[in-house]
Amino acid sequence: MTGARPLSSHRRAVAAVTAVLLALVCAACSSGGGGATSAGGGAALEMWTFKRTHLDALKQAAREFQRQTGVAVDVQAVTPDDAFTAKVQSAAQTRSLPDVLEVHAGGEDFRIGGAGLLADLAGDFPAAALGRFLGDTPRAGLVTEERKRQVKELKDAEMGSLFSIPFTAGTFGIVYAHREKLEAAGLDPAVPPKTWQEFIRYLKATTGADPRRGGLALGLKVSQVGFNWIYSQLAFAHLGKERYQRLFARGAAQGFASPDGAETLALYGELTPYWMPGTTALGIDEADVAFAQGKAAFNVGGTFTLAFLAQNGVKPGDLISFPIPPPDGAKVADLRLAPLALTGLSVTSTSGDRAAAVKWVDFLTSPAGAGIFAKAALDLPATDLGADAEKLVGADLAALQRYFTGPADSTFDAADGTFRPPGYDEAKIGPVLLKLSPLRETDPVRTGAQLDAVLGDMWKSTS
Amino acid sequence: MEIDVVGRAAPVRDVLAPAPQPAAPGRSRWRGWLTGYAFVAPAVALFLLMGLYTIGYGVSLSFAEWNGFTPTWEWVGLDNYLDLLYRDPGLAPGLHRAALNTAVVMVVVPLGTIVLALPLAVLLNRVTRLRGLLRSVFFLPYVTSGIAVYYAWRYLLEPEGPINFLLRSLGLGGLARPQGFLADPATALPTLIVIMIWSAVPVAMLLYLAGLQSINPNVVEAAQMDGASPARVVRHIVWPLLRPITAAIVLLGLRDSMQGFQIFLVMTDGGPAGHTDVLGLQAYHLAFFKGLSSTLGLASALGWMIFLAALALTLLNARTLRSGR
Repeated sequence: MTGARPLSSHRRAVAAVTAVLLALVCAACSSGGGGATSAGGGAALEMWTFKRTHLDALKQAAREFQRQTGVAVDVQAVTPDDAFTAKVQSAAQTRSLPDVLEVHAGGEDFRIGGAGLLADLAGDFPAAALGRFLGDTPRAGLVTEERKRQVKELKDAEMGSLFSIPFTAGTFGIVYAHREKLEAAGLDPAVPPKTWQEFIRYLKATTGADPRRGGLALGLKVSQVGFNWIYSQLAFAHLGKERYQRLFARGAAQGFASPDGAETLALYGELTPYWMPGTTALGIDEADVAFAQGKAAFNVGGTFTLAFLAQNGVKPGDLISFPIPPPDGAKVADLRLAPLALTGLSVTSTSGDRAAAVKWVDFLTSPAGAGIFAKAALDLPATDLGADAEKLVGADLAALQRYFTGPADSTFDAADGTFRPPGYDEAKIGPVLLKLSPLRETDPVRTGAQLDAVLGDMWKSTS
Repeated sequence: MEIDVVGRAAPVRDVLAPAPQPAAPGRSRWRGWLTGYAFVAPAVALFLLMGLYTIGYGVSLSFAEWNGFTPTWEWVGLDNYLDLLYRDPGLAPGLHRAALNTAVVMVVVPLGTIVLALPLAVLLNRVTRLRGLLRSVFFLPYVTSGIAVYYAWRYLLEPEGPINFLLRSLGLGGLARPQGFLADPATALPTLIVIMIWSAVPVAMLLYLAGLQSINPNVVEAAQMDGASPARVVRHIVWPLLRPITAAIVLLGLRDSMQGFQIFLVMTDGGPAGHTDVLGLQAYHLAFFKGLSSTLGLASALGWMIFLAALALTLLNARTLRSGR
């Protein structure tokens, strides 16, 4: 009998610990799917983003949103991309997705939405509400016949469903250069290169002045960026829209091995002597950091790159920026770059408070919310900021917006994939171009033939 | 008072208590079984949950198309395996190239590890002073291995990094790589192999050292008295006696080379232009870098093919080991 008492108290302790654990588990489970309550007693939402550079700006916008509506938003950044993917996948299985996701537009939203995990926002954002966005960006999350053909996961999705609202927009193919390095090479930063040949001349001058730190930085460890951020714009300008698109056609006689393809590849190959040493071993962010540290005179990125450079200590005023310049005699002498939705905001179908989540998305994409975000993140929102753009994102970034509009035939639209094989995999294109430049393992004609072979395989894979 | 068989008196309470009935043999056996099962049940449950379930899930997934989101899988039979092996022209060529790189790594890493670890262990075995310190120094790469060390190596191997600087300072500028060692297709894979060997040598060396210390000194002494040189002693006595350890080191090296991909992911991500792409990295890319496409089944199928190849090599190794005894 004497041993019974300690055993009983031990059991009580175990029971208490178990109860606490169960309570914690229940609390953890209930937090998924949002619709929770904030410390102040109001509704609370949860949002995940894959962009670390957006976190502070989103939190700033969330504070204003809470002030206006009483709804708190807990914003979390999950990086890098593979960690974000894994987290969203596991949350999808346990039905513990947050209320709002920031995703890559025009791809991830369709694949998550196609699985029934995203709410259709078409009713919440009618055509009138979508008028606030730049160009064609509101269509980025829209399910169309063409997209159903391109994205297998959309086969059961309803036509006209809207799985994301554009959040940030911009374009690729923007060149940044250090004013100081241009001046050191005897170049005038006030006069950016107007043609590809001038650009090459500038590169020659800067690498001549500083062979190790005067070249062009680009994160070619992600091999497709050479193709997507430089070659495509260059080839589009040189050949014009129609001939450029013909390079990708099924069984193309006018493919990359044609004179058109070889010519554009040869132009791209002119960059070879001027790459920053070791650029093929650097990721996109690493190359940007190297440029910010002054290890290169030029850097190619997108409109979004300026925010990252600024976060790494570069004063935007110390840089000049210009789009990839068209070559002499180009079919498109005044190249325009259509803005595309880079990221989108999606409301999950498991959200416990759909109305509040939609309200948050609406706020973030309103001129007021987008303004707060743009100013804090130094990134272009998809919302047209109009005359306020310069005040909010700075003169340099706002100036880049002038390249967004122009005649359709002169406008390169990176979001247009209608002429490529369904299931187009850019990761297979990148290494082929990398072998041409900077690796010098092949020449333009053989590169063209290899690109045709890779594209031919993609057409075959999907036939 | 009762007296037990060894002459001790039984305690009074035992004498007064009713004599215990002998348990039925069946009941006693059941109780024994139940006790045994109760002890192993937690481990079995854990294995069923974490091991068997995961394995079953992975195997099933390799016969399906799925992107991690849809509530149902689309069964495709052997398609994933056939697509990877030869059928899908968008997948198979890349896989073949990665398999070739993996094969090179599988041959060179274990070989290089043995070539370095055995002499080091022999030398360390002969050293009497500072042996503990030297052992710690040689073991350091293993203790420090990991993602952080790979980043440190990246820094060392950069175009303006310390290795190029050292080579240029020593008048060996011809050996320096202007693009850095990882961005140059000629040096990227060899450099990664060297780092893998550097990471593997410490454990191999310790295993060899343990093996050397277990060799009967009389055997070595007899050979020395017969006039065998140190090289002959190693060649004809030490090496054959260390064969099981060598087999274990080869096995570990093969496993690391075939399944490990962290070093490739962190240092080159398969680049430049696929020159360091390996099978493990391909599986990782298929799972997480296809824009949420339905490629998890392909990644799983590739994972199982790597596992089967590793299993075949293990069995081959075990057979070789048995036949050598």
